[in-house]
Amino acid sequence: MEKEKKEFNLANLPPECNDPSIKQEDFKLIQVDEKIHDQKFETKPTTFFKDCLRRFVKNKSSVVATFILGILVLMSIIVPAAFSGSDIHKIDKDHNSNLFIEYLEPKLFKAGTGFWDGTKKMSDIPVDTTDPNRDNWGPAGYKMNAVSNLVIGDLQYTNTPNQYAKEGYIQFGYFENIPDTVEYISYASDSSYMESLKDDKFIKFKFDHSLKITNFVTLDKDKLAASDEKTKDYPKGYTDAESALYFVFSEGANTHSVKVVDYKKAHAIGEGEEAIDIKPLFDAYKDEYNSTPGLDPEEYITNDILSPGFEIRVKNEKNHANSCTLIKSVGVESSSDNPSIKKDFDKFSFSSGNQVFIRSELYNRIKGNNEKEKEQKFANSGIWKSISSSRYSKETSYLVKAVLCSFTYDTYEDKLGAIDDKMYNVDLLKLKNKEIIKYSISKEKNSEGVYVVSKCECEILKPDDCYLVKPFEAKDVVLDQTTGLVNYVNCQVYRYKKEFGLDKMPTFLLGTDKQGLDMFVYVFKGLRTSLIIGIAASAICFVFGLIWGSISGYFGGTVDLLMERFTDILAGIPWIVVMTLTIINLGDKPFFSEKQSGELLLFMIALCLTGWIGTSHTTRTQFYRFRGREYVLASRTLGASHGRLIAKHILPNAMGTIITSAVLMVPSIIFSEATISYLGLGLKSQQSLGVVLADNQSELTNHPYLLIFPSVIIALLMISFNLFGNGLRDAVNPSLKGEGE
Amino acid sequence: MLKYSIKRILLAFVTAFIILTLTFFLIKALPASVPASTVPSATYAYCLDQVDLGYFVDMPETHEELGRLLYEWHEHGADHYFYEKPAFDQYIAWVKGIFTKWEWGRSTAIEPNSNAIHIIFERLPVSFSVNIISVILSVPLGILFGIIAGLKKNTWIDHTISTLVMVFISIPSFVIIVFLIYWFAFKGNLPTMWPTKDAAIGRRIAAYIIPVLALSFGSICGYTRFVRAELCEVMSSEYLLLARTKGLTKNQAITRHALRNAFVPILPSILAEFIGVFSGSMVLESLYNIPGIGNLYIKSLTANPRDLNVLLVDMAIFTIVGLLAGIVLDLSYGFIDPRIRMGEKNA
Repeated sequence: MEKEKKEFNLANLPPECNDPSIKQEDFKLIQVDEKIHDQKFETKPTTFFKDCLRRFVKNKSSVVATFILGILVLMSIIVPAAFSGSDIHKIDKDHNSNLFIEYLEPKLFKAGTGFWDGTKKMSDIPVDTTDPNRDNWGPAGYKMNAVSNLVIGDLQYTNTPNQYAKEGYIQFGYFENIPDTVEYISYASDSSYMESLKDDKFIKFKFDHSLKITNFVTLDKDKLAASDEKTKDYPKGYTDAESALYFVFSEGANTHSVKVVDYKKAHAIGEGEEAIDIKPLFDAYKDEYNSTPGLDPEEYITNDILSPGFEIRVKNEKNHANSCTLIKSVGVESSSDNPSIKKDFDKFSFSSGNQVFIRSELYNRIKGNNEKEKEQKFANSGIWKSISSSRYSKETSYLVKAVLCSFTYDTYEDKLGAIDDKMYNVDLLKLKNKEIIKYSISKEKNSEGVYVVSKCECEILKPDDCYLVKPFEAKDVVLDQTTGLVNYVNCQVYRYKKEFGLDKMPTFLLGTDKQGLDMFVYVFKGLRTSLIIGIAASAICFVFGLIWGSISGYFGGTVDLLMERFTDILAGIPWIVVMTLTIINLGDKPFFSEKQSGELLLFMIALCLTGWIGTSHTTRTQFYRFRGREYVLASRTLGASHGRLIAKHILPNAMGTIITSAVLMVPSIIFSEATISYLGLGLKSQQSLGVVLADNQSELTNHPYLLIFPSVIIALLMISFNLFGNGLRDAVNPSLKGEGE
Repeated sequence: MLKYSIKRILLAFVTAFIILTLTFFLIKALPASVPASTVPSATYAYCLDQVDLGYFVDMPETHEELGRLLYEWHEHGADHYFYEKPAFDQYIAWVKGIFTKWEWGRSTAIEPNSNAIHIIFERLPVSFSVNIISVILSVPLGILFGIIAGLKKNTWIDHTISTLVMVFISIPSFVIIVFLIYWFAFKGNLPTMWPTKDAAIGRRIAAYIIPVLALSFGSICGYTRFVRAELCEVMSSEYLLLARTKGLTKNQAITRHALRNAFVPILPSILAEFIGVFSGSMVLESLYNIPGIGNLYIKSLTANPRDLNVLLVDMAIFTIVGLLAGIVLDLSYGFIDPRIRMGEKNA
């Protein structure tokens, strides 16, 4: 039947629609007679993924995140590979030898630019004031050629032990933050003695510049008043005379050590429990010691004291049998000629936040059956324990008065720059043979028959290849006095050239850590491990979850019920418990602990044990959604097998959502791995980002850059992965857009 | 509803039972240890208690076929050799001990020879106090920011809030904690570590600031994101349009219709969060040295030898709290919104 040909006619319209501007010619039907069903579409057909990509590109933040993610992944591949053989990395590679440079600051720009230039701002550093000329003063213990912007301040208290300091004091005080890693601490904090030393109640022991105590104060109120005119320094109304505290500071031996002795044992008096007036004893000791400086205090005290030195004694009392105290800070002043003093005190490193906890007796409480609780007491000749610098305890130490300064310190110049060195004949000849330097040393016998240098000429021919800072002079040459041969030459050398064989000063973009590892390489190596673990574990979880979820979702019924109960139980265990149980059960097995790959595998297993549940759940939901659809039913009626229905009909439709959930799993697995590594249960032979952070977490106060860069990288990785995953989800499944943003 | 609730709770019990059994056997697969006490008699006392509790067996002479010798003690001419019983026997003893004597196993390292559950309960209040303050702080703030972001959708306020949420959710908690400690404790004046019981009250209160902040950041961000997403969905729904066309003002429509419906999925998760205060954050507690149960977990795990009994009970607490939170989450849906029929079979 022929279609009726309809033509639009303006004249047919009602009169009110009549508009003179509209003409009949404007209306013409096109394609009236054409057959278009066999023509090709002019628009291009689009696939599902192309469509997704189009939507994905529209989401700007996701594109940026993808870009950043791409850069991070590329860097994690390129950086560890590219820098392993370069000159910069030589220091890392050799870190087993003694040749490594720790704690170099991050350096990108030339030194002196003030930002990211390998320098460190130093403040409150004691000044070496031995030179009468103030212009020559500089920070003690620092290389002057690495110091810039030096500002010398006034005389003030510092907590850095230094031989250029004057006056000081030891402060005993209440330990504010007792870490409960120290086993005895709970008893100490229970003690009323600790209570009495709270907050502002400090007892100070003053001593003069020769390390002898000038001001000794007991805790007894009466003696406090009588002891010194400087009593105003001590807390008023301090009456706790029970746990008197004594110490002796002695000089004369090489070692200065902190010792605690049981008073009773040490003096073999006071066998009874009554309080003993110990002041006369101390005075006697002090007087004797002061009057005979050569006396070895070891004889004087007991055999408990291994070496003479700095001693702190805790006295037992009737009412305070577990007397104890704590050195909050120790103030030392030493203008002594003995240079080892400074070093010795460094050894105890009060300055790194250590505090000394002292008690005379150790109580061990044994809990018996049920409510029975008995206490056992152990005679102990005193315990001194330096509470190993707990990560976040405040820095406390000696207080000494010193002139302090602040400056900018070039860590590269300090550790790799010019140092004083000895050049032996062999070294000189080597340089001479290579025609790097030329020199001539002429010698003569002086009136005493000893060889001396009469003339010395030295010239550096190739300054680039020579590690000498400047040509040596006659006064630097040391001759063997009898033979007249050159023994060695004192000179300054560039450390990076001589010891490391580098042509120029190396630059570490992110600095080096305590092992001298280049943080730039180290961080990206960590990133690489994290990514490998994240992606591999996600892939395993994805495959397993997909299979589990599709079986459960497709078949439904009893199969589904049983499988769901199983996942319910597994999901009920916190992931950290699963990881812990896996690692502690399998971690000691040789298969997993001997090789690096074994450890990685173990970690992957631990992460995957519960990781697949998410994917399985998503897959199951998707299968529930699609398995009842008409097209599946149609295919089923046509005789399609289960496998075909799953693989060809349901899965392709569900894939987008499932893949997105798998992509979002990668950051969560990296996160889990980092967390568990950070808690100290993680990888041991490999570096992941979590391990890098865990290794450096104690450096927070002194070298924050070691934590900042890994943190930035891990945060960047997480943010970009999440944005990328969210963008992907929005693109694949636009109906979910905005969820979880 | 009631039937479903009972079924759900019973199922959770069964799940908890299976998980704890599994955990017990996995823990017992590891070599047992005795407290490495400085006092030999203390270790002996521990071993005797273990015999009484049914975990160890006391032999007058060494037996090679009994496995690894755990401890030996010679006193008054009598010799004691302690061995571990088979894992299944220990399991029976454990279950019996829990139900008859509330005896969950003895600690070997944390507080030698004290009941592990007592150690847990000593530390639980600390974790609880930190968590509850954080929840009380973060729930209202999170909801507030979420509502602001949801109502001002696609304005600069929303973009700012959403970006911050994205950033804070992505940064691992330990990074946030470390930098909080760095800025507020080292550069600032807050305690660098959890103070002891006898510290000044001011310091003890001040010590809450960093942990609460550290816990709240993630929580606030989570709620903000959740509330915003729910609110956005509700705001674009047709019934809200209907409410507006009926003549309700925007505020009326939002408070009476949008928020009420948006809160249906949010409230259960808040309730579940309140259950979650009984567990502790391991990272935070070990970094800030808070003597809570998260810290206990790490300590018992890193002690040498490991305190496996305490670890087991700690794991049990974490598992039970998680399961309980799940039940509350599921059941409260039905109580909050009567339209939701719990336990109905989905097609």
